[in-house]
Amino acid sequence: MRYEFRVTGHVSAGLAEAFPELDRVLAPRQTLFFGAVTDEAHLYGLLNRFRDLGLRVEEMRRLAD
Amino acid sequence: MLPARASGAEGGENTVVPSFGVAGVPLDPSGGPLLAAKFSVPAVARGFVRRQRLLDRLTDGTNGPLTVVTGAAGAGKTILVSSWTQGGTHPGPVVWVTLDSDDTPGVIWAYIVEALRRGLLGLTGDIGMPVGAGSADHSMLVRLCSALERLPEPVVLVLDGLDKVPGREVTSGLGFVLDHAGPRLRLVLTSREDPSLPLHRYRTEDRLYEIRGADLAFTPHEVAVLLRGHGLVPGRETVEALTSRTEGWAAGLRLCALAMEGSGDADGFVRSFTASEHAVADYLTAEILDAQPAATRELLLRVSILDRVHPDLANALTGRQDAEGILTRLTRANAFVEPLADTGWCRFHPLFAAVLHAHLRSRRPGLEPRLHRRAARWFTGSGQVTEALAHAAAGGDWKYGAAEAVRHLMPGRLLADPEAEGLEGLFSRMPADVPGAEPALVAAACHLSRRDPVGCRACLARAEYHLDCKGACATPEARLTHVLLRLLSEPYEQRHGGADGTAAAEEAARHIGELMAQLPRFRIKEHPEIEALRRHGPACALLKSGRLDDARTAFADAARACTAEATHLVRHQCLGRLALAEGIDGALTLASDHARCSLAVADQHGIPQPHRSGAGHLALATVACERGEVSTAIRHIDQAEALPDTHDDPVLMTERAILWSRVELAQGRWAAALAALDELVPSALVWPAERLAVARSTAALARGDHATAISALDGAEAASPSRTVALALAHLAAGHTETALHLVAPIEDSPGPSLPDRVRIGLLRTRAAMLGGDRAAAHALLAQALDAARPEQLRRPFTEARPWMRHLLHRPDGPLGVHAWLTARPPDRQDDPILIEPLSGREREVLAYLERMMTTDEIAAALHLSVNTVKTHLRSIYRKLCVSSRREAVERGREFRLL
Repeated sequence: MRYEFRVTGHVSAGLAEAFPELDRVLAPRQTLFFGAVTDEAHLYGLLNRFRDLGLRVEEMRRLAD
Repeated sequence: MLPARASGAEGGENTVVPSFGVAGVPLDPSGGPLLAAKFSVPAVARGFVRRQRLLDRLTDGTNGPLTVVTGAAGAGKTILVSSWTQGGTHPGPVVWVTLDSDDTPGVIWAYIVEALRRGLLGLTGDIGMPVGAGSADHSMLVRLCSALERLPEPVVLVLDGLDKVPGREVTSGLGFVLDHAGPRLRLVLTSREDPSLPLHRYRTEDRLYEIRGADLAFTPHEVAVLLRGHGLVPGRETVEALTSRTEGWAAGLRLCALAMEGSGDADGFVRSFTASEHAVADYLTAEILDAQPAATRELLLRVSILDRVHPDLANALTGRQDAEGILTRLTRANAFVEPLADTGWCRFHPLFAAVLHAHLRSRRPGLEPRLHRRAARWFTGSGQVTEALAHAAAGGDWKYGAAEAVRHLMPGRLLADPEAEGLEGLFSRMPADVPGAEPALVAAACHLSRRDPVGCRACLARAEYHLDCKGACATPEARLTHVLLRLLSEPYEQRHGGADGTAAAEEAARHIGELMAQLPRFRIKEHPEIEALRRHGPACALLKSGRLDDARTAFADAARACTAEATHLVRHQCLGRLALAEGIDGALTLASDHARCSLAVADQHGIPQPHRSGAGHLALATVACERGEVSTAIRHIDQAEALPDTHDDPVLMTERAILWSRVELAQGRWAAALAALDELVPSALVWPAERLAVARSTAALARGDHATAISALDGAEAASPSRTVALALAHLAAGHTETALHLVAPIEDSPGPSLPDRVRIGLLRTRAAMLGGDRAAAHALLAQALDAARPEQLRRPFTEARPWMRHLLHRPDGPLGVHAWLTARPPDRQDDPILIEPLSGREREVLAYLERMMTTDEIAAALHLSVNTVKTHLRSIYRKLCVSSRREAVERGREFRLL
């Protein structure tokens, strides 16, 4: 499964270290994280990690493999 | 968590009182001291904004049963509730519990009960404590509810951080308490996510008061107050800009205030912040971190690997001596450091900690594992082994972690109490290729706790290679762990023609005893499970070799050695196998008592299903079979089959098959009885194979097939008494009376045969006397057999001999007058409280008429009652008997002997 997460604001490379398994692309007023998500547990783990860092997920979608 | 554990309630399976440590400190079920910090309301920090609109809402909310405060991390949930606790209007005393992610449900309920007890003088009744760390028993929740219901005034219970509690067990318990504790309990929950309670139902029933993220957001006015609290004088535009940029997010605003204080150019900060496209938390923490002096920044980054920070530990991580001063300054500046009351420890705001952790990885790549290793050594030095192991694991330093684990005898603890202190999860993450003796020992223990003795022995072989290489260097702890794991993983089988395995097991146990004497006394005291496991090993070997008497003594000794908290799993297993040995030996009353004890230990300590033993249920099934209570036997075999060790332990597997076979025989299904035995893979062990052969012979004999009954027992080298008795019975049935008598003569007066076999010998002689025409001798012998069987209500030998027995028993002057127990209907359901409410006298009368097939009208006429009254009685009979028709009611009535 590949997922894309859109997070409010630009996330610095330093903070993005918390998501070594995801790639990061900056967009206007947003940061896109995307990459392979192993399973449901990993997905919820990622969402929790965004929340722990105070990052707001605006949008999340599954990408075609 | 302290390594020292509760000394334990001696032999008290039935006690639910909290255990007390040496210093009289109440201990939670996982053994750690209750942290006073968990009950103290977090301090309200400098620069806090008193938000009256929200305080009023909490006051409103706590007039009802449930108030839920939800919002993102750093939304200000905790600070709102704590400020309300310290300066709001409450309906009654407020009791606070801070929840943590490493609390198990049992621990959480222990905290809740203890907090209520400390905060409320009016709390009456003995609520007890949860008995296991894993979960809270339902009866404790019931006692808690009833105590809360009796309170004279309302109490507010605040549970802070419910989202940190994994799983649904605690929330479902809370739901139960909310529904049953009565109107005095006012629950306040704070959580980052909606708790998994039926909130929708509570909403429609108007029992829920919600304060959500949007309510918690700061208004421009509140933002201005907050900034002024930090000594800033913001203009209106600044306030508006910050409010909209942070969307009123409390943590973001506090970070802003700190950054503005530190920068000296507040306006400049606001301009660049509002213009930046960065995520708020990211931007602000980077700003603040960069504004700190280098030493502080380094400390913040380095301690981010910890859940809780102690100045000494922080010094160990930074290699400096200034942590105390820095942490005090940060606490005073309200920079997201919160002291834990009276402990010397402090905690970072989780949001801040998470961001710092990410910065650590990017700014000091490669440093994190080294920090974990340093933390591991610090925790070892301060005696906190579990924490040390966790950090060694996180740092990938398995060699050190395993060495410490073995030095502290943790592999034994893992086997005796797999759930304890997360050892199982911790050790199982260790990669397989860590070199050295200690990692191999830890891996061996992991295999064994997963019921994989073969894998365990493979690891032990690896450990031996290293232990032998080093020669004398091996520590006594390592050698002890090695011998202990050997003892528990070796099959110690007595194979055909092989040496006696029990001698080797006893030798290993003796060796362990010697090694224990070489260790410091306090270490052995900390680990009572070593002695328990040391005794358990040889007892199992004795049972495998069929030495029932010795096995019984050994298991009883082992069970007596299990007095501590850490040994309840071993106690459960010892009692179960003790009961099974007694059951096979015909000591049915003892077997039944010990089996029930074993099950009670498992229930009371919440031993999870995968670690439970089926031996207790097999023992109860054996007792039921011997007493002719077939349906009870089936129920217990079913329960035993659900437990893993009845599928991999050779003795339990064999007994399970034999019991199925007996149950089928009792129902007259001969083919099925044999099939149950054939399903079993033939055992290489002497004793189980012999038990199986005897069972085959019994099944064949029941069908009248003497030839098979005899041949099933052929080929014995040194026949045991039970085999000899079975063979003699087969010969008797085949008409070889002389052979039969000749076979039993040598063993008859020896103490060898078990009670059932002695009764069988008596019956065999009875039959022989009958065939010889000596009726008087036959009657005397039968009476002797009955007297011997009576104390244990042993029925099976008589039912097996049924065809010729009937004449003897049922003659007019027969022994049935005295021995009515033999044919009495077995009290199959005496211990099943299925009938919760007894039938009233009138209901029993109505039931009696139902049995006579009378209509409702006829019953009404016979009892001089109205038809409607009879119908009411019928309805309540159906309800109490759990049936839905007359026919079922009559059947159930007969079953319960109400008719």
